[in-house]
Amino acid sequence: MRTEKVVFAFFIVLALTLNFGFFLGDFSNVHHHNVYELFAAIVVNLIATVLKFGDRTHLGSVFLATSLVAVLQLIVAALIWGIHSATAGAEMDADTFSTIVSLSGGALLANIISVVLLVAETVNLRR
Amino acid sequence: MSNLIYLLLRRLRAPLITLILVYAVSMLGYVLIPGEDNNRDLYYMTFFEAFYFVSFMGTTIGFGEIPYEFTQPQRYWTLICLYATVITWLYGIGSLLSVFQDPAFRQQTKLNSFRRAVSRIRQPFYLICGYGETGRKLVEELAHDGVLSVVLDPEEGPINDLEVNDLPISPLWLRADASDAQLLEYAGINHPRCSGIISLANDDRVNLTIAIVAQLLNKNVRLIARADTKQAESNILSFGANEVINPFETFASRLALAINSPSLHLIYEWTTGPRDRRVDEVYLPKKGRWIICGFGNFGRTAYQYLDDIGQELCVIEPDRHRRDVPAGAIIGRPTEASTLKKAGIDEAVGIIAGTGNDPDNLSVLMTARELNPNIFRVAHQNEEKNKPIFEAAELDVVMQRGNLISDKIFALTQTPLLGDFLRIVQRFKSERANLLASRMIAVMGDEFPELWEFEVNAKETPALFDRLNAKHQVLVEDLLRLPDNREKRIEAFMLFLKRGEGNVILPENNRLVHIGDRFLMCGTKKAHHNVQIMTRNAQYLEYGLTGDLKPDSLVWRKIMAKLAR
Repeated sequence: MRTEKVVFAFFIVLALTLNFGFFLGDFSNVHHHNVYELFAAIVVNLIATVLKFGDRTHLGSVFLATSLVAVLQLIVAALIWGIHSATAGAEMDADTFSTIVSLSGGALLANIISVVLLVAETVNLRR
Repeated sequence: MSNLIYLLLRRLRAPLITLILVYAVSMLGYVLIPGEDNNRDLYYMTFFEAFYFVSFMGTTIGFGEIPYEFTQPQRYWTLICLYATVITWLYGIGSLLSVFQDPAFRQQTKLNSFRRAVSRIRQPFYLICGYGETGRKLVEELAHDGVLSVVLDPEEGPINDLEVNDLPISPLWLRADASDAQLLEYAGINHPRCSGIISLANDDRVNLTIAIVAQLLNKNVRLIARADTKQAESNILSFGANEVINPFETFASRLALAINSPSLHLIYEWTTGPRDRRVDEVYLPKKGRWIICGFGNFGRTAYQYLDDIGQELCVIEPDRHRRDVPAGAIIGRPTEASTLKKAGIDEAVGIIAGTGNDPDNLSVLMTARELNPNIFRVAHQNEEKNKPIFEAAELDVVMQRGNLISDKIFALTQTPLLGDFLRIVQRFKSERANLLASRMIAVMGDEFPELWEFEVNAKETPALFDRLNAKHQVLVEDLLRLPDNREKRIEAFMLFLKRGEGNVILPENNRLVHIGDRFLMCGTKKAHHNVQIMTRNAQYLEYGLTGDLKPDSLVWRKIMAKLAR
């Protein structure tokens, strides 16, 4: 067991679970989706991305790409939320909110791929 | 390039993660801590406001407390975050700078820019491995001749001088080990414009490795290598090197030539010697007893060559543990008069100081002159920096390894046929060599000898090529007719002709010229120019061959055609 591997797997799985937690719930219902959870998902995804830096293998490149996709989608979701609340007041309409949630859904898919890769790599590892 | 970015990202992992965490915690704090708006109502900062505030606080820009004046708890939190973020930034920037300073990173940057520069070369260049005295001389000569060189050398030292150089064509260089196949590839061994590899390392094994790697990577590339021992020489030759140059052997054979066949010596000097001065007089060491001091690489080779031409030899070797000294050798310090006397300095005609130590060599020769004022003195100069002392000592011959090899290699790069030519000429008998030398003097007059070569093809000699293609016969002597007056001859002659695998030394005047022939010519600069006119300009060639002067312009040609009818 190596600490480095634990940390790596921890952040990747956490990125997925947080993302999933935010995504879960009624699409257009603001009360089902917590803003702090989105924030945590972005931060953890960013950290996961940085952790994947510098791996020159093919698998490493795909890892990095999935994380970049997830971060991109989540940040766009956060931006939409932020801009909307700054311009249209505190009231959130269902249209905008469903966009935010669906963006996070895309990020979720990227995170799932990332975890699948992690599992595949672990399974292929020779003992 | 990609290597660099990955290296950079990898090194910056820890600072980046720290930065993300510190920002996240700070932002979260601002969002959670209750504040007040202007009406003293409860107000929570949004994530955007928090990010905005932390961003300008962390970078110490500090626009003030926004969107509303902070409450006391918010200020406490700001105090904590302020230090945390500033320290994190310093840590990040510090790591970034240390990555840039890192030797591995800098080597990688240099390698990348070197690779890019090499791949962008659009002119013929030589790849030179080893930048010692020889390398420096050679790069200089090539640069003055307008040829680009790419230099590899693993050691700190002279190669760093290339950073600031005043050469007309600045060479590309990298401090790296040339026996690394990958590096040879980066340096352009497979580059379509690579004219050849010149391997000049001090160590024979390195030269051998380069020869093997070069042969495996690119069979067609021309390879010129240096070798200090006989074994290494034949070994490198077996790996497909075109020319192997052994500095000691080159020098010793010249010395033997000077004693045995002065005209051959002159031919060698003219063809492979320095380009800035012409040697016309042969120093003439007399035949007789020679003393060789030091039986290292240099002394041993000198011994072999002088022994071959039947000189009486006496070796003085200071190291009493050396095994392979010839019979009759005297063990002792050659710098002492008594040792020299024992070796028979009184009746010796020449002395060769060939120890590995420059002051010793000079001291030997000074003592020798005191004992025998007429003695012919030959010195081996080991280090370039001692050149002024050797010049001041007014010796008869000084062997400067660097100059000797670089002159020869330069000549070989300019006229590759020279190698084959000299290999045949060195077996010439005295009379034939005399004849050749006098022919060379006849064509070059008082000028510097100019050697050049040309191939009969569409690109180099278009007029001649077209004419031969039209099934006309052209003789060797026709090429040497003066373009202004066909009865007179250009002051040049063919030294050598290579037709396919066949060699013709000094081709006769009535020999037919074929397409694909390669000629090695000797003459003056003007003669070179005239031969170029003859082979490239169809009008002049026509005139030279038939005596007809065809008009240049279309109109005049038509008028002439009408008149003829």
